[in-house]
Amino acid sequence: MTVDVPVNGTSRREEIEPRMLLVHFLREQIGLTGTHIGCQTGQCGACTVLIDGEAVKSCMVLAAQAEGHEVTTIEGLAPAGTLHPVQQAFWEEHGAQCGYCTPAMVLSTVALLADDPDPDEHAIRHALDGNICRCTGYHNIVLSVRAAAQKVAAGAVPEPFLQR
Amino acid sequence: MSAPVAIGTRTKRLDAPQKLNGQERFTADLKLPGLLHARVVGSAYAHAMVKGVIKDAALAIPGVVAVLTAADLPIAPKADGTPGENPLVEDEAVFSGQPIALVLATSDAAAEDGVGAVEVDYDPLPALMRMSEAMAEGAPMVRLKTSEVSDEEASMHNADAAQDSGEERETLPPNVSNSIHFSRGDVAAGFAASDAVVELSFTSQEVHQGYLETQVAMATVEPLGDLRVYTSTQAAFYCRTRVAETVGVPLHRVDVVPMPVGGGFGGKFVLIEPLVAAAAVAVGRPVLLQFNRMEDFLAANPAPGCEITLKVGATKDGTITALESRMTFESGALGGSPLQIAAILMGGYYRFPNLEIRGYEVLTNRSKMGAYRAPGAQQGTLAIESVIDELARELGMDPMAFRLQNCVVEGDARPNGNAWPRIGLRQTLEALEAHPAWQGREEARAKGRGVGIAVGGWPGGVEPATAVCRLDADGKMTVVLGSVDLNGTNTTFSQIAAETFGLGAEDITVKTASTDSAPYAGGTGGSKVTYTVGPAVQKAAEDARQQILSIAAEHLEAAAEDLEIIDGAIRVKGVPGVSVSLREIASMSMTVGSRFEPVYGKGSSAITESAPGFAVHLAEVEVDELTGETKVVRYVAAQDVGYAINPASVEGQIHGGVAQGIGWALYEGMHYDDSGQLLTATLMDYALPKAEYVPPIETILVHVPSEHGPYGAKGVGEPPSIPGAAAVANAIRDLTGLRMTDIPIRPERLAAALDAAETARTASAAD
Ligand code: FES
Ligand code: FES
Repeated sequence: MTVDVPVNGTSRREEIEPRMLLVHFLREQIGLTGTHIGCQTGQCGACTVLIDGEAVKSCMVLAAQAEGHEVTTIEGLAPAGTLHPVQQAFWEEHGAQCGYCTPAMVLSTVALLADDPDPDEHAIRHALDGNICRCTGYHNIVLSVRAAAQKVAAGAVPEPFLQR
Repeated sequence: MSAPVAIGTRTKRLDAPQKLNGQERFTADLKLPGLLHARVVGSAYAHAMVKGVIKDAALAIPGVVAVLTAADLPIAPKADGTPGENPLVEDEAVFSGQPIALVLATSDAAAEDGVGAVEVDYDPLPALMRMSEAMAEGAPMVRLKTSEVSDEEASMHNADAAQDSGEERETLPPNVSNSIHFSRGDVAAGFAASDAVVELSFTSQEVHQGYLETQVAMATVEPLGDLRVYTSTQAAFYCRTRVAETVGVPLHRVDVVPMPVGGGFGGKFVLIEPLVAAAAVAVGRPVLLQFNRMEDFLAANPAPGCEITLKVGATKDGTITALESRMTFESGALGGSPLQIAAILMGGYYRFPNLEIRGYEVLTNRSKMGAYRAPGAQQGTLAIESVIDELARELGMDPMAFRLQNCVVEGDARPNGNAWPRIGLRQTLEALEAHPAWQGREEARAKGRGVGIAVGGWPGGVEPATAVCRLDADGKMTVVLGSVDLNGTNTTFSQIAAETFGLGAEDITVKTASTDSAPYAGGTGGSKVTYTVGPAVQKAAEDARQQILSIAAEHLEAAAEDLEIIDGAIRVKGVPGVSVSLREIASMSMTVGSRFEPVYGKGSSAITESAPGFAVHLAEVEVDELTGETKVVRYVAAQDVGYAINPASVEGQIHGGVAQGIGWALYEGMHYDDSGQLLTATLMDYALPKAEYVPPIETILVHVPSEHGPYGAKGVGEPPSIPGAAAVANAIRDLTGLRMTDIPIRPERLAAALDAAETARTASAAD
């Protein structure tokens, strides 16, 4: 079947098998590998993307179901060569270790802050309950989300970083 | 030393941006022309003879290219001429999910369809899932065909495991693959002299490393015939050896490219790489295999469950007199388990004048057992730290004071007779003792909380390593090494090299190269990378610095001693304006006809003494008396880290270890039914700690410098995951009066214990 999914602001018209999951569409079909797979059964949250601004586990959605909805992946969060304020905050607060859960954590944070610009510790942990991280013990992730909230509230914009 | 410029400061991970913006490439993100996706056909039985594999239906599926069985793989014989180890089942499957065949297809979906269509003909055999059954007299064998059991990997994690316990071998019960015996003094006399004795029995379940990125490897035969393996491994050189042995090619024809590891925790030394490499050779096309989560639960290498009975005695004045223990550790169907280190740590935190430990590794029809962050330490520590806590209560002593009175210091012996080198256990206990959470424990109790503490130690690992440090044409320094960066070690190494040049960490690039070009380093495991590769980096940077200074000296016509490197330029001290930049040095040493040699510093280390690290944790818990649910509400982790080169990454390591410790304590355990089917094969049934289960974590860094580590640093990875289970159990004891000895302490277990205690109370009140 043919689907037309707008991803990061560009319409992606592709010929796919009807059973194809959105996560495979993103990774295999259009090569956006920043969306990761940790379980494919909806528990780990590593595949989280934004669909119309909501955090959604892309292994739980068929690509066909995303047709007509705006999908944002980690690659589309900030212009190339820059980091979104949420990404900056995760960097500064050491919110990423192995990095496997990280894109999803960042996107879940973006969605959280859109709903609740000033979440407390409890709200943060609750909102991230669908995203497993095995490396950080969540401590620095919580700090990162707090710092991100402040940055976003202060009107921070994506900033360039030194490409290494 | 002048004031440090790069070390000792909280430094942002230099590789974080690509992890944050989705540009990091993990193994499964790679694409190669002609790539085939592999999926495994796993054994449906925990124990069976495989009589045949029928491939036709699978091969008929569009996209399926091949179905490989053991006979189809090019497996080289061993050096002694005996058949090599086949990564697929040849005839006897010994655990459920064990790979029998590999389906290769042009897409993952087609490969999965292929797996469903492969038919396997089995002759089921009895499966032995419990150690007691397996060890019983006359028990059937876990595997009919035996093979050598290797503990090669265990020795990569800690220096103690590298030695044989050197004990006589008793006649062993069936299915026991290994035994240990440590003995000192006269245990009977020790107990006879004691005023209080506590004896308890503990069990812990098999636990999975829970790395978020499942096992994954891709192999390809290059156009010139070399075999290249891209893999999520912690140990590139070891992986190369295993792959080369499996397919029978010389080491130099195999290049292992260590990819970013999406969590390893000891479980990613080598597992599927020999299989994937053999498959790529068999079909002459690139092959990618990534376990799905269920396959990873079934057929990877989790940490073993165990049973420990432990008895410790002490006199009224708080002096420990004796320790006696019997330990049995699961070693899966293939053998190997961290029993020895568990015993050494269990009998190694305190001074035991008399000691007797017997331990057995028992085969069961479970997957291979592997290393999980401080392998063996959690299980042994749960036992000793629970018993010590209980003994302090029996004696009416404060558990902190009792520990301080008996804890080991430099020179005290471990069960194997080896003396502890300089350690910071006492200082770490004292640091936690001074913390408000310990000082304020009565207030916590008044709020209906329990407070528990526990010690955890790790002997540390050692292995020789080399690093190089070169000046590139752009005037930038690059360090090249062979160790895999699991947790920010490359940023730490940037700091170390930067310190030498008076630069900032961001001015130094550190690259982990593939085995073709990387200088040797051992696997990233056992808390040894910073400790052993760090000094090599330091020396390589120093060597490069000397080379730079000697070029500059000639160029500036000054004595090398009069030169200094400031902001990337070499200047004559006290003579402003006379300088040469690193970039100029680079171009002077790398152009046609130049008289200067290129700057290429080399440094190596072969430290043979490990630097043990100790952690002492405090857990504060609340228990819901109705449901039995335990919530950890406050957590303090003190740890002797020697010296924190990057305090941010050291703290991050501690945070992660603490969450894993809480997982051991309360949530995680793999369960099989009696026929050997895994009941916890998804993340729905196997509970990894989520953000809401883990409290904020307060850290205390203690600095008792190591003798050989860079700037006194010690390994920090393992210790923080060790004390958690015991600290939580001790906190539950403090609150409820119940001594929980089986982990994980799931709500239903605690609720049942609370119920039983309540019933006993009412019954005795009615008397
Ligand atoms: S991969 Fe989608 S939730 Fe785990
Ligand atoms: S940083 Fe490794 S899983 Fe979160």
